[in-house]
Amino acid sequence: MTADFLIIPGIIVIVGGLILPVVPERVRPWLSLFFPAAALVVVFAVPEGRVVTVSLAGMDLQPLAVHRLSRLFGIIFAITAFIGGVYAWHVRDLTQQVAAPVYAGGALGVSFAGDFFSLLVFWELMAVSSVWLVWANRTPQSHKAGMRYLIYHALGGGILFTGILMHYSATGSLQVVSLEPVYTPGAVLMLLGVAVNAAVVPLHAWLPDAYPKATVTGAVFMSAFTTKSAVYVLLRVFPGWELLTWFGCAMALYGVLYAVVCKDIREILAYHIISQVGFMVAGAGIGTEMAVNGAAAHAYSHILYKALLFMGTGAVLYKTGTTKTAYLGGLASRMRWVMILYMVGAFSISGIPLFNGFISKSMTVSAAGEAHNEAAMIMLMLASVGTFLSVGLKLPYMTWFDKEHNLMVLKRLPRNMYAGMGMAAFLCIFYGLVPGALYRYLPYPVEYNPFNVYHFVEVTQVSLMTFLGFWVFCHKFHGELIQALDVDWFYRRPAPFFRKVFVTYVSMVFDHVEALAFGVVGRLRAAFQNPMKWLNPITGYRHEAYKYSPMIEVVVGLVLFVFVLIEVLLMI
Amino acid sequence: MNRTLWFLFWALFLVSLVLEFTVLAGVGHHWWNSIPAFYGIFGLVCCVGIIYVAKFVGTHFLNRDLDYYDR
Repeated sequence: MTADFLIIPGIIVIVGGLILPVVPERVRPWLSLFFPAAALVVVFAVPEGRVVTVSLAGMDLQPLAVHRLSRLFGIIFAITAFIGGVYAWHVRDLTQQVAAPVYAGGALGVSFAGDFFSLLVFWELMAVSSVWLVWANRTPQSHKAGMRYLIYHALGGGILFTGILMHYSATGSLQVVSLEPVYTPGAVLMLLGVAVNAAVVPLHAWLPDAYPKATVTGAVFMSAFTTKSAVYVLLRVFPGWELLTWFGCAMALYGVLYAVVCKDIREILAYHIISQVGFMVAGAGIGTEMAVNGAAAHAYSHILYKALLFMGTGAVLYKTGTTKTAYLGGLASRMRWVMILYMVGAFSISGIPLFNGFISKSMTVSAAGEAHNEAAMIMLMLASVGTFLSVGLKLPYMTWFDKEHNLMVLKRLPRNMYAGMGMAAFLCIFYGLVPGALYRYLPYPVEYNPFNVYHFVEVTQVSLMTFLGFWVFCHKFHGELIQALDVDWFYRRPAPFFRKVFVTYVSMVFDHVEALAFGVVGRLRAAFQNPMKWLNPITGYRHEAYKYSPMIEVVVGLVLFVFVLIEVLLMI
Repeated sequence: MNRTLWFLFWALFLVSLVLEFTVLAGVGHHWWNSIPAFYGIFGLVCCVGIIYVAKFVGTHFLNRDLDYYDR
């Protein structure tokens, strides 16, 4: 039984995280690499179809059920946890050291869960562990953003749980299987719960609110796990739900629009997660074998290059202390390697050939075309232009170029951060050159070759002309630092009002009632403190008895009582 | 950008055009495949369009002071 648990990759990484507080400090960074590496070995080793069953309250749960899609997501989650561990090697904050692997283990657990109840447990574990990566920044802003993040995910988890219960009562099954696109109450609630974690617009506001406020290393983990584990569930449970196609396209465009508006480099990347996840959600909605393959491949690629991009911007934050574009710029010669490694991620996300984004994004967009959904295809191509514009051109231009010089003081970057970025960059290029290394793990057989003349012409023309447009209009990106309004306005703006009504005023009522109660008690105590005052009222206020403490009377009374008792006993 | 890079830029664009009108003549089944240099036009128009739309939406609807929610 215990041996069975040891082959569950999620459990391995979670246990690895939870034992860190009781091991010596110098061993912790090694263990944060060892357990993800062990999980990766197990992910490759457990055969497809392997199931671990646990009986709980009369139900047979399956915390491990190996599906082809589970393995694909398991591989990339374990790799990212390892690379994240390298990037965060220098961190000595136990909160982050524990939270990161538990969070990664939660994502691994979700991808291998064979039933919805196990999936929900890992799902909630991700929420409660990842929030510490935001709180670990220990600023008032990160505290508030973390609380909003936690509340949002508690709500999403609750909706998912309700949906699972309704689905169970309707079908009698908890198995993680593909559901027919029938909008039953249970399925709709499950879809809504998953949509919160996938940051489907308009349920996305938690993401650009929390991610930019996470720690330098925490943001790398956050960029990889929550949204992509939700994409896994969408691909496993909701393929072919057409509504997702249009929500995915809307996400892809919404994200890039905000990425162009924003003036904080980590906020740009956070909005861009929404855009990129839009491609995957659209792929799930199209639901053909090629679309599911494309979305799964894009999730795999995206995790790698987005982690690399967050590592690059994290390095900028570490060195300069800021992520605001107004203060950056002119730093190309002073952080050349950070820029080069970031650009590998930028070319990848932009779908430039020979980088890994190209082999997956082109597959997803082509799948829309193959499914004769040209409207979706055009929208995704438009989002691709916005991607190159914002992450491939605007962000590096505003961070490393734009100004002649920047004399700000730069901190020295730990070598392990370069190593983490180097590993991610290597994999981005490796998969870009050898797409078969990824395609062989996709859920359906692949007959797609991204390297053809058509794609070369398409990408070359689109990229070159996007660059030309940027070059002419790049001055438009300057401007004051701003907070861009989003749908979180609907709960952040009225928050002071609701806080007054439900917290401040309620506290005031309690305070008044408390003061009133203490006042009454005080007056009663003053009135009844001395019974002699009532037993002998004619003596008046200055009567000597009034000076006696009731305690002395009690003591004297007890002594007298003992004497009487002894007397009575002697008489008997 | 210096002159060499611009030369490479236009040379690459020219190569893509040549390939489009030779190797890819008649290839593709989407309605836009009949429009010459469609992807180039698409990239330029969309890029400029996104910049202007984002600028407009930001200026008129989205941009607020950094302490907007803390006031």
